[in-house]
Amino acid sequence: MKKQFRIFALTLAVVVLAASFAGCGSSASSAASASTPAASSSAQGGKITIFQQKSEIYDQLVALAADYEKETGVQVEVWPIAGDDYYQNLKTYMSSESGPTVFSLNSKSEINEMSGYLADLSGLPVMSKIQDTLKGATNEGTVIGVPYTAEGFGIVYNESLVKPADIDTTDKLVSFIGKSGDVTSFQLSQEDYFLIGHILNFPFAVQKDPVAFCQQVYKGEVKLADVSAFQDLAKIFDAIRQKEQSPVEVSYDDNCGNFATGKTASIHQGNWCYSLFKDYNVTFDMGITGVPVDGNTAVAVGVPSYWCVNGDASAEEQQLGKDFINWLYTSETGTHYLMDEFGFLPVVNGMKSTTLDPISQSIADSIASGNILPWTFNEEWPANIISNYLAPVAQEFFTTNMTQQEFLDKLNEAFVTAANE
Amino acid sequence: MKIKKKWFALFTVPLISVFFAVVILPFISGVLYSFVKWDGLPKNPKQFVGFENYLKVFTDSRFLASLLRTSLFTIISMLIINVLALAFALFVTSRLRARNLSRAMLFMPYLIGGLLLGYIWQFILGDGMKAIGVLTGREDLFFYWLSDSRFAFIGMIVVTTWQMAGYIMIIYIAGLQTISDDVLEAARIDGAGFWNMLFRVKLPLLMPSITISLFLTLSNCFKIYDVNLSLTGGGPANATEMVTMNIFAEIFSKSNYGYGQAKAIVFFVIVAVITMLQVKLTSNKEVEA
Amino acid sequence: MMKKAGRLLANLLLVAFSCVWLAPIYIIFVNSFKNRAELYANILSLPSAFTGEYYAQAMQKMNFAAAFKNSFLVTVFSVVIIVVLSAMTAWMLVRSHTALSRFLYRFLIVTMLIPFQTVMMPLMQEMNGITKATGIQMKDSLGGLVFMYIGFGAGMGVFLFHGFIKSAVPVSLEEAATIDGCNTWQVFWKVVFPLLKPTAITVAILDVIWIWNDYLLPSLTLTSNAHKTIPVMASLFFGTYTIQWNMAMAALMLTVIPVVVFYFAAQKYIIKGVAAGAVKG
Repeated sequence: MKKQFRIFALTLAVVVLAASFAGCGSSASSAASASTPAASSSAQGGKITIFQQKSEIYDQLVALAADYEKETGVQVEVWPIAGDDYYQNLKTYMSSESGPTVFSLNSKSEINEMSGYLADLSGLPVMSKIQDTLKGATNEGTVIGVPYTAEGFGIVYNESLVKPADIDTTDKLVSFIGKSGDVTSFQLSQEDYFLIGHILNFPFAVQKDPVAFCQQVYKGEVKLADVSAFQDLAKIFDAIRQKEQSPVEVSYDDNCGNFATGKTASIHQGNWCYSLFKDYNVTFDMGITGVPVDGNTAVAVGVPSYWCVNGDASAEEQQLGKDFINWLYTSETGTHYLMDEFGFLPVVNGMKSTTLDPISQSIADSIASGNILPWTFNEEWPANIISNYLAPVAQEFFTTNMTQQEFLDKLNEAFVTAANE
Repeated sequence: MKIKKKWFALFTVPLISVFFAVVILPFISGVLYSFVKWDGLPKNPKQFVGFENYLKVFTDSRFLASLLRTSLFTIISMLIINVLALAFALFVTSRLRARNLSRAMLFMPYLIGGLLLGYIWQFILGDGMKAIGVLTGREDLFFYWLSDSRFAFIGMIVVTTWQMAGYIMIIYIAGLQTISDDVLEAARIDGAGFWNMLFRVKLPLLMPSITISLFLTLSNCFKIYDVNLSLTGGGPANATEMVTMNIFAEIFSKSNYGYGQAKAIVFFVIVAVITMLQVKLTSNKEVEA
Repeated sequence: MMKKAGRLLANLLLVAFSCVWLAPIYIIFVNSFKNRAELYANILSLPSAFTGEYYAQAMQKMNFAAAFKNSFLVTVFSVVIIVVLSAMTAWMLVRSHTALSRFLYRFLIVTMLIPFQTVMMPLMQEMNGITKATGIQMKDSLGGLVFMYIGFGAGMGVFLFHGFIKSAVPVSLEEAATIDGCNTWQVFWKVVFPLLKPTAITVAILDVIWIWNDYLLPSLTLTSNAHKTIPVMASLFFGTYTIQWNMAMAALMLTVIPVVVFYFAAQKYIIKGVAAGAVKG
């Protein structure tokens, strides 16, 4: 028994090392010739890999990949990922020359950081057709990203429980909060972006020149506590803290579930959450309106992500990637997927979606009428400030007796610190 | 016993060389990178800053706070886990009928890794605790634990203990089983009762297991990350941010690769000194067969 | 009579405690059968139907057969090699009382304190470098992954074997074998290794669980979908803000069952009295 075990273990050990490396020998040959794993060309048309952050469209992307291969003979491999780990994985892949062909980036700071790895996309035919309000991302003048879609957020409300006219000023909203008894009036949720990240965008975005305003805050020339829009926001937060369940205790799922089942009259969300509502039996009409700081009623609209091509990949691979993106936005199959399967709002001139859910439709209408606010948080705030600084302040606000003044001061401090790091 | 050099090499070189390539070389890279300011991407510039990163570490209050917090967490968890694991091991190697089933059940938590675990416990320690509070009326003890900094910390200890107790238990089981029956028989004949058996006979002979278990709990608790991330995310307001999370955020969220590495090195040195002391202390009490 | 009642009570308490202990697992199991609305309504309740649909969906999306094969290969190879090499190294370090041995031992265990997150980026870059320089595919390959697991498992393996060899393997046995004419290699395999069985099984169990469930390292090095392991594919169900609970929990059950089977099979081999027998003989 002992002898058998020993011989077994030994043989296995010897065979193993040989086998595991030999078994991967087929990919070793292609590794020696290319810096990215996807550059090996298959018999027909080559191969690209896609790695992007929206896990909600993963299934549809996989179906799209199959259709793309049928139409063009190019193989498309879609890499799965847990949403939160996306950027650190992307960074690690890029730094070890294992990056995907096509990937997504979310913000100016990510684009800046990845600038060495981005291919120039200005030559793409689709670029000239993109709506002006949602132009492609640029890095030092070169166009390097194609917008996914337009998304908007604000107060998503249940029309049978509250009308926008009831909450179109801060005072009205504050008195509405806590009024409805059994039904929660207005609810945030505990995740960083939904606790403070998105909603804090509003007081910045309503300023006359948000970009300049941000710079003034970072330099200490302006204090948030002195600005009316921010004071309004602090009032709203205080009302929530006093009269509603602490948002720190509410998860995104519960937040959406409460709304869909009529337990909450309004939530701070965006058009992306509609797909969650489909899982419940929603019986009411819903709409979206802006957070009423300084009497605002416009929703905040921006581009959540951009498609980018790996500038570190081989020339052929880059071209395949560019072709794919162009196809996605101009071909019949591609646009069908974009609009009907992914549920994206069209970004290309002339494209009109007929399958938009009510909230997305509302956002599209706002874009058309120009009644929108920018996504200052995405474009102007220091990198990762939301999870590193703002969320802890908001959590502290909801779990302690912090005053409104202290709240605004701490937020101010966060911006100054983060901007000057 | 005299060992020829060639045997020494044959037996140790394979493992040591793989170990060197996989663990040591990247670690050395990390040390080198701790002297630069860099965001981690090869195409972006590295700026040499000498010891600046290290000086920054000692004035970084958030890091120092997380270091203290992690130490406290580790000490408490270590104690609870080891006591519980030993108790479990004793039960499970006794003559109680339920032992086989229990051994498997106690060990199960360790089999569940990763992301989902934290979310489940988030529900238990959040909504779950709240529901118990409403049921029992003791709302001072049972509320949404995760929104209170002290209880969130306790929550971390609970989950870590839950996960690790079964794992350390099997180390104690293996240890208990190496104690020969003769010794136990002899002690019983001498009239030793349960507690005497435990403290005078079993524990000294268990010293190697204790060394190992203390070391494993020490190292796992200091390095804790997954549970930290999925259970509390470091909150509320960074009240439960442990060291690895702080370092990871520095490297990836703040793109401060060099500074993050400096923190990692400082952390490593501190933990290494502590654990080497611990191993030396308990090793000296071991009895070679 | 009293003793029997006491024992019954102890047994019952133990079982009751075990059930409470496993409550989280109950939650995972029960929710792998519910749709989102059901789960939102009550997370603790039994499902309305024990439908296998989420398991089927999860398996299909995870490409379960391929992922299982990858996980299996990586785990088996890594664990066998780690056990064999750690035992060999640990024994040699215990028996040769040189400064080098003591240094290597302390060195190996100290590095167990390094959190993986701090070495992951340089490690990936190093693997890339090796691949380019030697043509051996170290990144995006199962062999490369096994290689890395051996490196990371070395510390703990040597640590566990070292402790047990020092206290439970008598030098007298080895000396007797040497007198009988065995060389070092034979002494190890004929005399020492058989005595290490409980420890070897312990190391194997701990390593199997670690490697089978490991997410971060495979997610960073295995880029081609064909190579990905189960935990990496399971991460699919974790979106940025929300989780597809039913499939995520189904995926977790699928991930855990093979390990549970292995654990039950392996624990039978921790046989008591092996060491005692050797000493007597």
